[in-house]
Amino acid sequence: MSSVAADLTQVRAAAELLGFALARRARPVEGGVYRALLDRYRSELGFKDVVDTMAEGLGLEVLGVPRSGMVLAPEPGGAFATRLADLRTTMDADDRLVFGLVLIGIAAFAYPTDADFDDPETRLVEIVRVDEFIRGSLDALGGLGGVEGSPEERARTAAQVYADLPQLITTQTGRRARGCTLKAVEEVFGWLVEQGAAREAGTLGPDTFHLTDRFRLLVADSAGGAALDALRDARARGEAP
Amino acid sequence: MTGAYGGVISPAADASARDRWRALALTDPVSRLVRNAAHAGIDDADYDLRLLALAAVDVVVGSMGFAREATLDDVVDELTGLASRMCPGRPDQARDAAQTVVRGLLNDAHDQRRFSYRFADLGAPGETVRWEAYSFRLLSLREAEYGPVVVASDQAVTLFLGGLDVDLEDADRALAHVLQRQLDDRRFDAAARTAAQAERTSVGMSATLAELLDATRRDVGSHDWEQEVPDRLVRARRHVEARIGEDDRLLEHVQGGLDAETSPEVRAVSGRIVDLIGRARRVHLDLERRLVGAREVFLTAQVRQRLARRRRLRMLALRDEVLLAVLALPRPEALTVASAFADRALGVSVPRLVRFDDMVDMLWAPPRARESAEPAVEVVPDGDDEAHDVQRYPEPVVGAAREVLSAVTGGGEVRLSTLLDAVPGVAPEEDVTEVAELVLLSALWAFAPDLAAEAEGDVAGEIDVLAGGIEAVDDGVVLAHRFGSGRDLLVALRRKESVA
Repeated sequence: MSSVAADLTQVRAAAELLGFALARRARPVEGGVYRALLDRYRSELGFKDVVDTMAEGLGLEVLGVPRSGMVLAPEPGGAFATRLADLRTTMDADDRLVFGLVLIGIAAFAYPTDADFDDPETRLVEIVRVDEFIRGSLDALGGLGGVEGSPEERARTAAQVYADLPQLITTQTGRRARGCTLKAVEEVFGWLVEQGAAREAGTLGPDTFHLTDRFRLLVADSAGGAALDALRDARARGEAP
Repeated sequence: MTGAYGGVISPAADASARDRWRALALTDPVSRLVRNAAHAGIDDADYDLRLLALAAVDVVVGSMGFAREATLDDVVDELTGLASRMCPGRPDQARDAAQTVVRGLLNDAHDQRRFSYRFADLGAPGETVRWEAYSFRLLSLREAEYGPVVVASDQAVTLFLGGLDVDLEDADRALAHVLQRQLDDRRFDAAARTAAQAERTSVGMSATLAELLDATRRDVGSHDWEQEVPDRLVRARRHVEARIGEDDRLLEHVQGGLDAETSPEVRAVSGRIVDLIGRARRVHLDLERRLVGAREVFLTAQVRQRLARRRRLRMLALRDEVLLAVLALPRPEALTVASAFADRALGVSVPRLVRFDDMVDMLWAPPRARESAEPAVEVVPDGDDEAHDVQRYPEPVVGAAREVLSAVTGGGEVRLSTLLDAVPGVAPEEDVTEVAELVLLSALWAFAPDLAAEAEGDVAGEIDVLAGGIEAVDDGVVLAHRFGSGRDLLVALRRKESVA
């Protein structure tokens, strides 16, 4: 950290940059203010320190600055942290378990090895393939130990709930209905899109999504856990030539 | 280095075997995608998939390094156009063919990993064979600020554009090919023309801006600073911003051409463009300086000419100048004003962000421990429990209210006043007021449930239960009853579809 006190114009610019980063829709297009501030963050150490410090004070952490914009993560319990109430409020305990499992599943599916976290290549994922991958890896989760209430036990239970759900139920109009795993995966993707962590890739067909740099950085920031490790192992083994 | 064949075949063949093998391997993904296309229902006889694959690389290379690179959508759209010309009879299939080709080049079947092949290095006769992995990409996706863009690897550029007899890993060479191709396509000419055009626009804008500012200094009212001038300033600023960004990109791209080994033709054109951009940039920057000062000129002039515009809410009479004025407006206009007002009046809204581990912890929190895991919200103790007990109605009162409300089970609509009239006949005398109150509340609840209070569990259970099966409609008739006043609601059994 530089010991030189920041001047006020720098503080203002730093606040502006964080403002852009918080507005999920803002894009650092060529020639825009956001882009200029991002470039400054990348190239000017003093400015970077001001921004990082200011973010810390707000209960935020800068996870990275990919080309698509600055990615922030909240400190738990801070003003910017997502709470359970911000999610779909009608989720019961089983829904939440499945939601968590799918989230971990997508992360493991897209980034099986640590090298993947540094690879700026955008991943394409499809709903059906994610579901098949999770289904194929349930055994790995079922074998986890752990006492009642431990993350391992939650993973086991989640795998159990997932296994008991049918893969597909359709509504009268032919869409996927609640209560099947494909719908659950679809809903998690919907949420990721809302978070700016995924985008629909309609040109490559329905049910295809890009995972953005934001998602890559979020997963890379994770300390991992029994479930994530098990699924990443399964995935890395599954695709080894 | 020993050659691949260990000098068995010929020294010349040996020397270039590895390179030629690589070139051969690079075309394999295309063959593979052609083979696999049959599984996707694409008939090789209908579409020239190899040509589509070449076209995909061409489209991507055509825009690499420019301010706007080809997005995935651009590439797929372009290929779809070509495919539909190959097989005009099946317009529905063209997009599938295009998708198959793009997916094939991205190696989507293997999750966009690198294509990977093994080269057998035989070494000198008698040595054991060494297997050497060779992996590469053809196309890959990157996220840009305007969406996912497609980039071609150096290998793809060199092979598909430059032919096969070259050093495939030479990045400079790849850039030279890209530049040469863009020069051939007259894309440099186009870029140079755009830059020159933009320069002329900037000169024009500078001139009119100078005139406008002079006029404003003389008389603030000479131009419309509410609407017209800010719009013009914004347009000019956008123009400058866009040009400066675009020119930087082009400059960098072209500079690369001067540094890398390129043809004299490319060098000459590159030099010309660098000069042109340098000149244009000075003009843009000059315009920008004027733009930055423009608003200041207006404000100074305004203060001097004493025409300060009211900008703060407290300088308005809320009732007369906002509320009444809005009420008098037609709906769409009123909506604009009201939402603008509300947005400002409501203050800050905080965006919610996530962290992967916290998210999973939250979702997977064991049900028993959930209460303690919830963030501790500061609750002002208000004797909530006690209040609940006071609010609770005694069982006989609830029973009587239920009996009164059962009048609607006949199926028709019953007036609230009729229900209230029935109360004294049903309830014991000492409970009449309470029963009437409960009936009133239930009807009100059926008319407009307080969902927020319900979610917080803030509603006396009885009302919820009683009002659960009924709904109420306000048809404007006024209620003036000894138990209450307001609107005489029409109460009826809740219809099926509104339950679902």
